[in-house]
Amino acid sequence: MKKYFVSISFFPILIFLWAIFLPAEVRGSDGVVGVEICKGCHEDHYNSYMRSTHAKKAIPNSPANLEGCETCHGPGAAHVEKSGERGVGIFIFSKKIADARSKSAKCLSCHGESRDLSFWDVAKHPSVDVSCDNCHTVHSMTPKNLKATQPDLCNICHRSIRAQQNKQSHHPIRDGKLKCTDCHDHHGGFGQHMIKAESVNELCYKCHADKRGPFMWQHPPVEENCLSCHTAHGSNVSKLLVSRVPLLCQACHADTGHPGTGNTSFETFQGRTPSNKMFARACLNCHSTIHGSNGPSVQGRRFVR
Amino acid sequence: MRSKIIIGTMIFSWIAFLNAFAQERRLEGEVSVTGVAPKIEGGKAKFNEYRDIRDGAYVEIETRYHADQYYLDFRAQDIGYKTQRYGIEGGKWGSFKYHFDYDEIPHNFTYGAKSFYTGVGGAKLTFPTQPPSKDINTWTTFDYSIERKNYGGGFKLDMLKPFYFDASVNREERKGLYPVGAAGTSSGGIAIELPAPINYMTDNLKLEAGYIQNPFFFSLGYFYSTFRNDNSQLDFRNPANGSTAATTDIFTLPPNNTYYRLDLKGGVKLPFRSKFNLDLASSSTQSDVNLLSSYVALGGRNFINLSSPVFNGKVDTQSYNFMLTSNPFRPLDAKLFYKYYERRNKSNSITTTDGPNTFSNPLFDYRNQKYGAELGFKLPASFNLTAAYTHARIERRDRDNIPTNTDDTYGADLRWSGLDFMVAKVGYERLQRKGDFGQPADPNLLEHYVRRYDVASRDRNTYKAIVDFFPIENLNFSLGYKYKDTNYNETILGLQSDKRSEFTMDGDYLIAKRVRLFAYFDFAYVKLDQFQRTVTSANNPPSPLPADPGNPPTITPAPQSLQAFNWKVTQTETNYGYGLGADLYILPQKLTLKLQHNWTKSDGYADYTYFRAFNPAIIPTDAGRTQDNIDISNWGKYETRFYMARLTYNLTKTLSFAGGYVYEKFIADDAQYNGYNYTIGGNFLTGAYTNPSYEANIAFLSAAYRF
Repeated sequence: MKKYFVSISFFPILIFLWAIFLPAEVRGSDGVVGVEICKGCHEDHYNSYMRSTHAKKAIPNSPANLEGCETCHGPGAAHVEKSGERGVGIFIFSKKIADARSKSAKCLSCHGESRDLSFWDVAKHPSVDVSCDNCHTVHSMTPKNLKATQPDLCNICHRSIRAQQNKQSHHPIRDGKLKCTDCHDHHGGFGQHMIKAESVNELCYKCHADKRGPFMWQHPPVEENCLSCHTAHGSNVSKLLVSRVPLLCQACHADTGHPGTGNTSFETFQGRTPSNKMFARACLNCHSTIHGSNGPSVQGRRFVR
Repeated sequence: MRSKIIIGTMIFSWIAFLNAFAQERRLEGEVSVTGVAPKIEGGKAKFNEYRDIRDGAYVEIETRYHADQYYLDFRAQDIGYKTQRYGIEGGKWGSFKYHFDYDEIPHNFTYGAKSFYTGVGGAKLTFPTQPPSKDINTWTTFDYSIERKNYGGGFKLDMLKPFYFDASVNREERKGLYPVGAAGTSSGGIAIELPAPINYMTDNLKLEAGYIQNPFFFSLGYFYSTFRNDNSQLDFRNPANGSTAATTDIFTLPPNNTYYRLDLKGGVKLPFRSKFNLDLASSSTQSDVNLLSSYVALGGRNFINLSSPVFNGKVDTQSYNFMLTSNPFRPLDAKLFYKYYERRNKSNSITTTDGPNTFSNPLFDYRNQKYGAELGFKLPASFNLTAAYTHARIERRDRDNIPTNTDDTYGADLRWSGLDFMVAKVGYERLQRKGDFGQPADPNLLEHYVRRYDVASRDRNTYKAIVDFFPIENLNFSLGYKYKDTNYNETILGLQSDKRSEFTMDGDYLIAKRVRLFAYFDFAYVKLDQFQRTVTSANNPPSPLPADPGNPPTITPAPQSLQAFNWKVTQTETNYGYGLGADLYILPQKLTLKLQHNWTKSDGYADYTYFRAFNPAIIPTDAGRTQDNIDISNWGKYETRFYMARLTYNLTKTLSFAGGYVYEKFIADDAQYNGYNYTIGGNFLTGAYTNPSYEANIAFLSAAYRF
């Protein structure tokens, strides 16, 4: 047993030693022509680069302290010699010329040692060929060098989410008060759907702290997953519910008496036998503390106080 | 007042900063003023749900001060409005950065709500004489609305690389009124809608310290949050139980709580272009509440015995996530993961004795273990194949009789990028969930046949296809389709199937740098099938109850009035939406006309089928029901229309003007709100969420100065 333990302990030490002596990435400097040569043909790009964070010499390891334009685009001598045709003899961030992994690798050679990108390889984005330049451009002065503002940027790919955001009940995403990145870790994380929390509920509680409880009388589906009843991006039903009350509640609560009663058009305000189990907020007219209650006796247990 | 002090401090510090450093610097920015003249008819609360659009001038200021060593950005929006936002971000390049933010968000539900109560806005609602007046013209008028104010600041230190340190704090205040409801009597009765006061304050502190240098990354994070509610309860005089003004009923409000979370994240690069990542976290939420020892019921106050007068709520969570990613050779990408999440309810179980009844609060908790793999292969002919498998097991405690779920999810995506002008992708995913229901064995109980949809066994198949075209540099066009079919294969009573289709289409075309056209179309269709059984009896319920859905319908007249029959409902939802737009660069970089039109429409329908013999002669409560008149055609129908025209003229490089017009219309048609009556059937409602339809015409004119 002891022998196995020693063997297992030896393995992380090997990894550590290997990591310590890992050869540093070699950046070649052959064929570098300098930013002034680049400026000669690409003045617009040069000007935007000079206005960007990348041109700040105060930042150690910024392109300004390395090879300027050629830090990202590679040495330009071959490009100059071959008449400067687009993408000839040089690396450009074009989907027709470079694959997603190669493009992201350029950025990660510097930004890989950033905490924001420390879980990039965990993320879904690289595995579906999304590269840094899909969302960012270095030739701009926009916040975080984004090509567009949220949610429009994310909606370019996530189109069904756009359709949900346009529904009548929605988080204030399209109103500019909530960003996709407030909830999602677009650069990678362990949460389901790259959410910024270990569970859906812990994410929702960041804003909806009043729902944290803990309550004496808990509603288990609520405690387990807010998305049992709610949808995050938009719904036709008020309160971002996944379907309409009372049918939403009755899908689980089919007991004798009113939980199992089929309320129809007859129980609406304009029906012949209006019922508070159907009109207005239906079940929630009375069972308001559905997220949990500290109410007394059956009143708390049934979420009516 | 506090917000004004904060805003003033932010502006003062910004000005002081500008003069603090004598070095080469560049200050640029933009100041714009937009005059708005809206004319809104109808549901102003819905129109301004998260906005504050009214007559006036909206000022936006944005400045960027970037020097060689330091920078400072400032932004102010909607100054003086309920959506105002201010932010300062500054720092020293590559060394540290800081930020201060202030943000307001309104959430308007209903304007002009009404209640017979006095004291609306506070935590004590009363009315002078029993019964309360049903003349709504004499009632108190108020707005259901919540205002959220968020103050925050943070500091990030990067100058000690490879170590880093982050700290941020924020406070969120919410104030307003929100509709809640209470059953009039302890076992049902009338519904009483109550305007509950919202006076919340949440304080958050976040700290993170870490080390990151190839090949290692480690960080330790701490998050602490407190939630405070000024009102632990809402006292109200209950018109249903004959209470006097002195015998108030009580509605409990969300309790104060504290939450903390500690997490350790890390990663190490390994040979063969591999990386091992982990995230370990632990959290705890606590809340101590003094419990009520009585409640108001018909005929007076009921006293109860509690095994403890205080509820010590405590829920802890633990999570462990491990993932190994590897790209050992170019054609293969691999991810292997294990995730564990546990929620442990450490609250005290309290025994309540209420007359002859004794019961305790269950302590629900669960744990979820998940492992799986995702493999990506680069295949010949520009094909990429990704295959994934996940196994999950959820074990619960104290949730009825549903202890375990086992999920197996298989999926594959195939992507083809063989042409310069097109990328196509198809995907398939199958989820098989097994729900280990331990329902009561007695077939005379309805519960025997119920399968709750969130944990019920199911087969779910998802198909998707996406095609992106970009035939020329300035033209993009894409089509997407997704179909999700969920079959709850063991469910007898409850949700039996859920089918969803989505279709999206997008296009964007820039013609000769003079005209940009863009358009989208979205379609979604949802169909939910639910099967239920009604068993009710006004008097002398038979024993055993005819709970088995296999039984024939049983309908008997008064005085017993037993009804036992099956019914089903199919809910459908059809959503359409499109947007059309054009940017016309009439005089390039000088005069631009933007036109936009968006439209969405949703049709909801509830198709009911009663499996019973309608016979008004036997069942007076049928009241004219037939199979043909019980469906609901306006099951959440609505339509939105939006038109905008905006003309922008750049007089000089620094000065521009814009003017335009917006038309918005929202039309809601909802069976649950049409014909709204505040006092129908003895209920007391307040008008929450009624009449959201609106029509708005908005003219605007703006001037912007860039420097």
